[in-house]
Amino acid sequence: MTIADFTFYLFAAVMVIAGLLTVTARNPVHSVLWLILAFLSGAGLFVLVGAEFVAMLLIIVYVGAVAVLFLFVVMMLDIDFAELKAEMAKYMPLAGLIGVVLLMQLALAFGPWTFADGIEGRLANPTPALDQAHNTQALGLILYDRYFLAFQVSGLILLVAMIGAIVLTLRHRADVKRQDIVAQMMRDPKKALELKDVKPGQGL
Amino acid sequence: MIGADLSILIPEIVLAVFAMAAMLAAVYTSKDAVAPALTWGTALIFVVMAFYIAVTGEGVRVGFNGGFVDDGFARFAKITILLSAAAILIVGIEFMQKSDLLRFEYPILVTLSVIGMMVMVSSGDLIVLYVGLELQSLALYVIASLRRDSVRSTEAGLKYFILGALSSGLLLYGASLVYGFAGTTQFAGIIETATAGEMPVGLLIGLVFLISGLAFKVSAAPFHMWTPDVYEGAPTPVTALLATAPKVAAVALFARVVHDAFGGAVGEWQQVVALLAVLSMFLGSIAAIGQTDIKRLMAYSSIGHMGFALMGLAAGTEQGVEAMLIYIAIYVTMNIGTFSFILSMEKDGRHVTDISALSSFASREGGKALALLVLMFSLAGVPPLVGFFGKYAVLFAAVEAGMAWLAIAGVIASVIGAYYYLRIVYLMYFGEDREGLDGRMGLVTYAGLMAMAALIALAWLPGLNLLGLEGMAAAAAQTLVR
Amino acid sequence: MTIGLEHYLTVAAALFVIGIFGIFLNRKNVIVILMSIELMLLAVNINLVAFSAFLGDLTGQVFTLFVLTVAAAEAAIGLAILVCFFRNRGTIAVEDVSNMKG
Repeated sequence: MTIADFTFYLFAAVMVIAGLLTVTARNPVHSVLWLILAFLSGAGLFVLVGAEFVAMLLIIVYVGAVAVLFLFVVMMLDIDFAELKAEMAKYMPLAGLIGVVLLMQLALAFGPWTFADGIEGRLANPTPALDQAHNTQALGLILYDRYFLAFQVSGLILLVAMIGAIVLTLRHRADVKRQDIVAQMMRDPKKALELKDVKPGQGL
Repeated sequence: MIGADLSILIPEIVLAVFAMAAMLAAVYTSKDAVAPALTWGTALIFVVMAFYIAVTGEGVRVGFNGGFVDDGFARFAKITILLSAAAILIVGIEFMQKSDLLRFEYPILVTLSVIGMMVMVSSGDLIVLYVGLELQSLALYVIASLRRDSVRSTEAGLKYFILGALSSGLLLYGASLVYGFAGTTQFAGIIETATAGEMPVGLLIGLVFLISGLAFKVSAAPFHMWTPDVYEGAPTPVTALLATAPKVAAVALFARVVHDAFGGAVGEWQQVVALLAVLSMFLGSIAAIGQTDIKRLMAYSSIGHMGFALMGLAAGTEQGVEAMLIYIAIYVTMNIGTFSFILSMEKDGRHVTDISALSSFASREGGKALALLVLMFSLAGVPPLVGFFGKYAVLFAAVEAGMAWLAIAGVIASVIGAYYYLRIVYLMYFGEDREGLDGRMGLVTYAGLMAMAALIALAWLPGLNLLGLEGMAAAAAQTLVR
Repeated sequence: MTIGLEHYLTVAAALFVIGIFGIFLNRKNVIVILMSIELMLLAVNINLVAFSAFLGDLTGQVFTLFVLTVAAAEAAIGLAILVCFFRNRGTIAVEDVSNMKG
């Protein structure tokens, strides 16, 4: 067994186990942590097949942003998870059965994977040789050009995500004191403080 | 080169720029106070774009390295999507204002969703298909939970989101296998490899996953679970939107994928689509019988109607696609009319959706009851109303394609389904007399209801000939099935 | 036995099934359902990258980039809807999705 094989089995095993623990862990905080481990192992597999840019992106976007977002929500909502988990045992046998059957079918199907005839002629973006362009550069060369439309539409998707998150969660509360920077800057010390000459025994 | 590509994309670009400009304008001015005007403006620009597409579009133009296809089929779908979305926006304004829901983000999100639908129906590449589909879905998830202080609306949004995301996952898994087999994500390349009879198991599984994901989006049985709950929980104008434009887009996308990418392997997907059609038709008819809420009823009704539309697709012929397009255009027209009525259902100042509230409605509001009667008869497929011609077209296409069993199943399902449409009519005319709906209908909603009812009641007349719908659908189908 | 395309496909299939399994298993715990969906998308990404590598074609990796982008947007919207729902309901247990009333 070469080092590459060993690494593959290591990452693959860790990823599958972490995935299983994500969906079965009793505490959602643990689930998020297992999810992060699964993503890191996935990134390891990507590096093994030479897709290093996507691997780094997986770590930055998923582990750095999405998983942390999950963690925030889990922590922010005060949820009684014990109650939710009570249901789980009930579905375990059925879900297990469905999972095993599906997996068997997929495993049966894949056997040796066959490609279509004449597939070389159909490849839209053959990978350039490593001395011509490395992975990141090669992706950059096609992403903004051949996939211009998809790139722009995914920009709109992110815009929708932004609008959506704001529409759904932003609340204007009237009873909160806010900082008014303009008012602060325009403040005039002469008007803020007034000196009164208080005569003894009279008061204001 | 990019200039030629962009010129194909003008309607989408105009809408995107409009959405962004509208957002900036609304944020920096009076925010929600401009919402009614903005909604009217959005509807107007939808109509203008529909006319633009109808007038300028000709031939088949392919851009962005085969990623975007502008053909007759895409134009037919886009015009239907734009017009129905515009109609739903307009008839919903009053309801949204009354229930304090009309925020300026609503028309903007609808616009972005419509852009997604337009990209979907024009896609010539799995990547473009996916981003278009997600653009429309994500915007719709937000719109469904727009009434954020209501449990039912947010629950509807959550259910819609979870099952929508699950279906996207299935679709993507299928897409990845198809890519792995064909070596390309372009439909033009996939169709060369996917030939009938000798499909390897991997590609077959990919196709099945792809079809399951699409079936979720058109809410065909057995992937319909989300529909009744979401339709019931979402605010009524949003339900009306979900029942029209996204359905057109999803069905059109379905047709594009199976014909454009798998047109050489009709035999492989025909049986699956036929099964989906039969299950949807029967489930839609039988499960609707016990419903007491009209929005839930319309949900099952839409499942049943999607079954009929898929029957046209299952025929696997040019005639089948033509019948499907006719059916879906008629279905959308009937739904706009029916939802105009549902939007105005009000009792003591509150919106009610209970069917029993319609009892003896005809004795108080004869005109509106007559309009609803026309729509219900047409939904049931009673001749000579327009709904019958849609059903006739898909049944005929199925028989012509040698699927007589499917057509017979369709007839039986439509007879069962007629029961609950007729029950509403019976309640309106012969139901016991009691306190029912008392709300007044706004002018725009009234106009919407009456216009759609008149269209349904009269468009079949010999001189009108369905307003040329058949010819347009035939031309559209011709560009898809080669 | 060297590591071939089939190995990657098998791992991805296993992960995909775990994702579906997780959705059925945690029907009431929406946060874990969202995580299961992320696992399914990870499985898809492994498929795409593996095909991309063994075909010598970059399209799969580009597809993965878009899947990642969309998944991030999807997570943001899903969690926003979830927060909204929690504020109204006080719990994240959704009524059974396949619950047919009447």
